[in-house]
Amino acid sequence: MIKTYRMYWEFTRKSFQRSAAYRVDSWSRVLGNVMSLGIWGCIWFALYYGKGSVENISFHSMLSYILISMALQGIHNAGTPLWEIQRRVRTGDIAIELLRPYDYPLRMLFTDLGSMSFYFITAIFPLYTLIFIFFQPNIPLSASQWGLFLLSAVLGYLIRYSLELTFGLFTFWLVETGGVEDIFYFSISLFSGSVVPLWFFPDWLASIASLLPFQGIYFVPNAIFVGELSGQAILPALLNQVIWLLICYGLLRFVWAKASQKVVVQGG
Amino acid sequence: MSIIEVKHLYKEFKIPKRQEGLAGALRSLFHRQYLTKLAVNDISFSIDSGEMVGYIGPNGAGKSTTIKMLTGILVPSSGDIRVNGLIPYKERQRNARQIGVVFGQRSQLWWDLPTIESFELLKQVFQIPADRYRQNMVRFRKILDLDEFLHTPVRQLSLGQRMRADIAAALLHDPKIIFLDEPTIGLDVVAKERMRSFIREINQDRGVTVILTTHDMSDIEKLCQRMILIDNGQVMYDGELAKIKETFGKTRILIVDLEEDIVDFSLAGVEVIKQEGNRHWLKFNRDTITASQLISRISENYNVRDISIQDPEIEVLIRNIYENTLPLIID
Ligand SMILES: Nc1ncnc2c1ncn2[C@@H]1O[C@H](COP(=O)(O)OP(=O)(O)O)[C@@H](O)[C@H]1O
Ligand SMILES: [Mg+2]
Repeated sequence: MIKTYRMYWEFTRKSFQRSAAYRVDSWSRVLGNVMSLGIWGCIWFALYYGKGSVENISFHSMLSYILISMALQGIHNAGTPLWEIQRRVRTGDIAIELLRPYDYPLRMLFTDLGSMSFYFITAIFPLYTLIFIFFQPNIPLSASQWGLFLLSAVLGYLIRYSLELTFGLFTFWLVETGGVEDIFYFSISLFSGSVVPLWFFPDWLASIASLLPFQGIYFVPNAIFVGELSGQAILPALLNQVIWLLICYGLLRFVWAKASQKVVVQGG
Repeated sequence: MSIIEVKHLYKEFKIPKRQEGLAGALRSLFHRQYLTKLAVNDISFSIDSGEMVGYIGPNGAGKSTTIKMLTGILVPSSGDIRVNGLIPYKERQRNARQIGVVFGQRSQLWWDLPTIESFELLKQVFQIPADRYRQNMVRFRKILDLDEFLHTPVRQLSLGQRMRADIAAALLHDPKIIFLDEPTIGLDVVAKERMRSFIREINQDRGVTVILTTHDMSDIEKLCQRMILIDNGQVMYDGELAKIKETFGKTRILIVDLEEDIVDFSLAGVEVIKQEGNRHWLKFNRDTITASQLISRISENYNVRDISIQDPEIEVLIRNIYENTLPLIID
């Protein structure tokens, strides 16, 4: 057990080191992140202009929401993106992983943990500390609120990871994979509440979003962070995340089991 | 004791047929047509522990497909495979611990990491005891000359270096069996020779069972006593290399340098296949005329400066077998 854990941990360490060797990547990601933060900040500023609050949400809460959302997105983006998973499937690189005595989905998770923590420590954390000091957004005020936010953020990331890998593995069955990519990125940018919180959705769209797993990725942790989701309402939201995580992870295991029977290695 | 058993193995690939034009594309959304390709067509063999076997055949014969099934990354369409008692595709992770695999055209090392880091990662992955790892590294560094590039990222290695690193990586965990799919492809003559001597060494010193695919006959000639020759997914020949030479190698080539330049070798069973200045290449059939008979006939009529006999080239033999296209049984 301990040994197995150490093996996966080794992937985290190595990927942390590797990120250090690719700092340029890291900087260009920071730049992209700050730019979209700027753009969305301006858009929300314009939408709120002259209004104290919209749907009972103050501009200050909305600004806080977008700040924490961009910080979380920044961390997620250091993980393995969908197109990279698709590339691995298409080229057969993923099949080579079957020649190793480990579980591929798990080893990928630990690898991503390495690059995400590197990026968090060296970029997102210092950058957003400064931004937070400057804008003074709402932040959790109690240890329990911090704890619930962190828990929710981790659950959100795990939901995203399960979905992204599952979508990536669909490449095994498809000749054209552009469609899958579009669906994934569309869903994650709309239904997850990454830039538009679910509060502002028209009822019909909000009810669709509430039936999907994506809201657990950013919306729930963001809302806890800014204090819009609090008290009694937190528990069902977390429970919803846990249930979706179980479903998505179960789906991932199922798809992985099927896919690894269907492996096709090009060339050689 | 056989360590690998393959019985009536089949692998069929379904290839989606591209349909022409927009109408075709639309139709293929609902009803896709497939071409089936029988890459492995009823292959059976068994390999003993400690053997070194050459699995050879022309491009597209089904070599890699067989290797992929033996390593567990491809599921057979039908048939039985046992690798040291395990069914590879069902027990992938356990099988991975007892085998080493090198694909000549695809590195299994981590592309962006310095080579040594890949080895260290493998040490954790296979949970190799520290002293065993150290011993193996000392040895591989020496015989594979790893030191010159140990700290270079894998993506910057030359093909020969990468192949050496890949072989070392495949052997670090002391596998019982190693599969080498085209380990000499793209290497220059020196690198090839070096790779061969290393393969020979691990087979002899460590008793590692080696299955090696190649379409380079000289690999087989230099390395393997036994070869399994396949074509179109079928076994054409399975046996000793020496035997195939004996059976099919009835023709020999005699090379003679003569004083004279105008000569006439009209002897039964002898054919001039080439001439360069005073040097003549004579193909003769052992059954019709023996080498000594031929030599004495020549020296009766001409002044011989130099003389040598060439063994039949393995390539030529194989071509003969392919031209027959039927599986051969030689006992
Ligand atoms: N993934 C695949 N999909 C479709 N056909 C394949 C696939 N892999 C191999 N083939 C076909 O199977 C045959 C055998 O291929 P392979 O085993 O790679 O040959 P070799 O390694 O002997 O050159 C070839 O005709 C090849 O085109
Ligand atoms: Mg091949």
